[in-house]
Amino acid sequence: MAAVELSGICKSFGGFLALDHATFSAQRGEVHALLGENGAGKSSLMNVLAGFYAPDAGSIIINGNTCRLAGPRDAAALGIGMIHQHFKLVKAFTVAENILLANPRNGYREAQAAIRREIRAKSEALSFVIDPDRRVDTLSVAEQQRVEILKALVGGADILILDEPTAVLTEQESESLLSNIRDLAVAGAAVILVTHKLQDVKAFSHRVTVMRGGRTVNTLDPLKTSTEQLTTLTVGENVEIPSRIFHERGGPRLIVSHLKHRANAARVTLDDVTFTVHAGEIYGIAGVGGNGQTELLEALCGGLVVEHGRIEITGDVADKPSDITKASPRQRLAAGFASIPADRHAHALASSLSIADNFAIGHIHEGRFGSWARVDRHAIWRATNAAIHNADVRGVRSLSQRASLLSGGNAQKLVLAREFSRFPRILVTHSPTRGLDAKATAAVQRWLIEARNEGVAVVLVSEDLDEVLGTADRIGVLVRGRIVAEFAAPADRQAVGKAMVNHV
Amino acid sequence: MADFLVNWISSIPGLALPYALASIGLIIGERAGVLSLGAEGLMLVGALVGVGTVLRINDPTLGLLAAMLASSMVSVLFACLVVFLRVNQVIAGLSLVFFCQGLTNLVGTMLDWSNRTIPGLGLLPLGSLGALPVIGPIFFRHDALVYLLVPIILFVQWLLTRTTFGLRLRAVGENPDAADSVGINVSLYRFFAVVGGSALIGLAGAYLSVVSAKIWVAGITGGRGWIAVALVIFARWNPWRALLGALLFGGIEALIPQIAAAGIGLPQYYLLMTPYLATLAVMVWQGLKNDTVSDEPEGLGKPFVREERR
Amino acid sequence: MSETSSATRSSSEAAPFGSPVGRRLRYRPRLVLEIRESMPAWQQFVILALSVLCGAAISTAILVWAGVPASELLSEFVNTVVDEQSIRAVLTQAAPLILVGIAASVAFQARFWNLGIEGQMVFGSIAATAVSLWHVGPESLRLLLMACAAVLGGLIWSVIPALLKLWLSVNEIIVTLLLNYVATYFLYDLLYGVWKDPTDGFPHSQVYASGERLPDIAWSINAALPVSLALMLVVVWLTQISRFGVYLRFIHANVAMAMRVGVPVVTTTFGAVFLSGSLAGVAGFVVSSGMEGRLSQGFFEGYGFSGVLIAFLARNNSLVAPLVAVLVAMLFVTGQTLQIFYQIPFSMVQLIQAIIVMCVAATEFFIRHRINLRG
Repeated sequence: MAAVELSGICKSFGGFLALDHATFSAQRGEVHALLGENGAGKSSLMNVLAGFYAPDAGSIIINGNTCRLAGPRDAAALGIGMIHQHFKLVKAFTVAENILLANPRNGYREAQAAIRREIRAKSEALSFVIDPDRRVDTLSVAEQQRVEILKALVGGADILILDEPTAVLTEQESESLLSNIRDLAVAGAAVILVTHKLQDVKAFSHRVTVMRGGRTVNTLDPLKTSTEQLTTLTVGENVEIPSRIFHERGGPRLIVSHLKHRANAARVTLDDVTFTVHAGEIYGIAGVGGNGQTELLEALCGGLVVEHGRIEITGDVADKPSDITKASPRQRLAAGFASIPADRHAHALASSLSIADNFAIGHIHEGRFGSWARVDRHAIWRATNAAIHNADVRGVRSLSQRASLLSGGNAQKLVLAREFSRFPRILVTHSPTRGLDAKATAAVQRWLIEARNEGVAVVLVSEDLDEVLGTADRIGVLVRGRIVAEFAAPADRQAVGKAMVNHV
Repeated sequence: MADFLVNWISSIPGLALPYALASIGLIIGERAGVLSLGAEGLMLVGALVGVGTVLRINDPTLGLLAAMLASSMVSVLFACLVVFLRVNQVIAGLSLVFFCQGLTNLVGTMLDWSNRTIPGLGLLPLGSLGALPVIGPIFFRHDALVYLLVPIILFVQWLLTRTTFGLRLRAVGENPDAADSVGINVSLYRFFAVVGGSALIGLAGAYLSVVSAKIWVAGITGGRGWIAVALVIFARWNPWRALLGALLFGGIEALIPQIAAAGIGLPQYYLLMTPYLATLAVMVWQGLKNDTVSDEPEGLGKPFVREERR
Repeated sequence: MSETSSATRSSSEAAPFGSPVGRRLRYRPRLVLEIRESMPAWQQFVILALSVLCGAAISTAILVWAGVPASELLSEFVNTVVDEQSIRAVLTQAAPLILVGIAASVAFQARFWNLGIEGQMVFGSIAATAVSLWHVGPESLRLLLMACAAVLGGLIWSVIPALLKLWLSVNEIIVTLLLNYVATYFLYDLLYGVWKDPTDGFPHSQVYASGERLPDIAWSINAALPVSLALMLVVVWLTQISRFGVYLRFIHANVAMAMRVGVPVVTTTFGAVFLSGSLAGVAGFVVSSGMEGRLSQGFFEGYGFSGVLIAFLARNNSLVAPLVAVLVAMLFVTGQTLQIFYQIPFSMVQLIQAIIVMCVAATEFFIRHRINLRG
């Protein structure tokens, strides 16, 4: 009897069909990987299984019984525990309080003692020692993840769903986690591993189900399937990965020296960051999220004024570098800066405003679209139309439609179109392909390489090591707010991965 | 001089009490994540119903209880708007204040409850204790509600920090997503937190009319509800610190008549401005301190919807 | 609080993952809340209109309870568009309401909750009255100087909350509200003190000279109305045509993004707040000089929330705001009539406004969300 069996699951959000008669089943004693690229529907399917989403159609069979889940609590009662990508922990509470919240026990005082006993018992299964009275916001990301798993185990979960668990971990931490959950599976649990990382699938799972476009494509044995076969199934067609052509780089364009910043008295976010990016090169910054990427980007784009250090830009070798450390975003834009932030709907686009507005705002200060007294709407429409066509932005019914209606890939193309239309000299990007499918990812990477070929100095910060390895000319590894190592392409994956581990 | 001090200090608890109760009522709601600006309105409702009940049945205790019930009922309107209909909490709070102002004025006029003195709630007779010099008037010549204030705070603090109910309520305020994922009904907790807290806010208003002034007039709350909202931030969402803030503001308010009584010739209206200026000063001071670790419930003010794509 | 299922797991110490105990779930249909992608504008307008009517209906019920026959109520309200006297009253009343409506709209568009409109009106009037009482400038220019002073007065009173928000991140909701009280007491101090009318000893200033009052123009309509409409056009130009308006729209939509793309957020916000304060100051001047003819107590009452209501219904659009302002003016005039003939306190108007805002806000829910019953 399968632990879980999902069949014919359909789910749509507004007009978007996320799941199209998807099926899935998992057994006890196995790690079953659910593989697919971004937007394939893996997370949505698991959210249905765990009771977060109500399916429009289809059936859920758990331990042989057909179920209708009214909410996450019902799923938890049946032994399903889901560990999301974005943890559902109350940061201000302690570990014990968080676990108690999820697993109510009678009486407050007795509950405290009882929950600690249970935490200790389950910690052994996870080989994870934690002081239950520590506040969650003092724990590292890997530790918080373990707490989430503990929460599920204490609740008696024996069907565990982990959604992209290694996205936020270093290579070492990932290995440790995945081998732990493999042990859990061997001990009798059904473990579902939602991931897009082929190497994790091959190394740690017993079976793999591939999803694409909201449908289940196939279920296979990872040991008997090659990486190429898996890739083809996942991606569905042959997508050209832009090849790297050697490009002669120019003189230094962006000089970052000794940036230091603290978020507060206790936390140092930038600890002497130093690197130089030349014109016509892509400098990739690799590292697990939370090591100062956000702060570094904010410092580069003008959202943060660092306590120490300098950021300078130069035109040609002969020119004196100009200091932009304290410049406003406006001034940086005028100096030739462009940025593609990670969260496009929060930082790059005004979702409720029109596509035309979102494009025009890139140029409006320079006076390209009319004077201060009167904005030239016709000029905006013409320019936006041209940009949309050049960038191949799909899904535009009218230029006055809201930007939020664009899908991830098209929204990113709009952002790129806007930033590139200013002919920038320095381009700073953070996870530009996050949440995009393979086609859009390839398109974005092509843009970056083209920019580099035109002589732009590109900074690519990404938590996706493969992306950095594939696109960058030089790689800096950011650990705890400091560039600890630099590599030139083609870089050795193992060496870079090793450098990413926290030094003591 | 000594007389002045004794008179001043002994009048503080009575004036501090409305601020304290209103702040604590707000804290309960805000710890659950609901920002309520409607305190001024709810206090008016409590004040009116308190007086009205006493005019009808001449029992101040029942008057206070009726006030608590009435303001809870009115807050149901606000709670439904904000919790279930996800209305912007600022707009809903503002509307509630003006709704209550208009409604209480109308009802007060229609039912002829305005401008009529009532016997109200008297001091709790503590006999010879009250006759002691200095500490007598300061500690032992108050009404029952003042003596109940500390037990109320103890109860609220116990409820928030030492019960499962409190744990869940705080979770709803800090991370409603997390609370929802473990099966806590976020909407219901927020609803009851708001309505329950409003009972205390109504009591604060009723104290003003039934105990302090022993009369109802339009606008009797005079902005104290807004000051209470500011006090919650000053108190960093902790009931004991709210009491401290209330004593501070009670102290300032108590100073005004004492200065007039002592014959010190300060311009009347500038004196009346002092509580508001003091609140502004407190807010500026908070802003200057620039706390890096905030005690503010993380989910405060944001409506909660579970199925949100992207 | 009850959980959605009646399960408590016994601690599973025996075997780490034994076969789970079979459990029957109480089944309940599930209410699912989804966010709509968009709704056509006409549909939104219909819903808005219906909600306003709903609010009006509730208010009517309350008034009937208070002793006003429903038929009378209807005829009074209709009167305001039919009877010449009433129409004039409505148009006169509309002038300051237009100004506070756009004052609130501009500030809210910059994400600044300017609830201190009443205080700004007070200082606007005080400044204008100072010009009158101190005989500043030649008489022919006096009215214009009073208007300019009013602009400055309102502007100055809006500086404090703006600075506090932008420098110290102090929440402007409480600050602006508290400053209203401070302004009121400052006014009382003047009216009961140095500016008390020497002729009758009442707490209002002496009457403005004839050249210091906004005159009535064609059809006995006060000049305040064209002044308000002219200012409205200026604001419409600023917010819909000029670059400032584009910046404002981005600040309203997404401040973080606006900063990133180089929108001058701080300058624009300050500008919007100062504009808001200035408009409120002019509104105060318009009431004092156009309607009352002197500085008096309580002339500003009711305008603060009216501004919020107008901005809310007009969705911060300065072109639509005057239309809503006229409706609110009709409400004011009806309220005054009710006060005279039925002894209904004027704060009833506030009650009706609050009910309408709550109805409209409640229906926003249905515009933004969709409810499905999942079986």
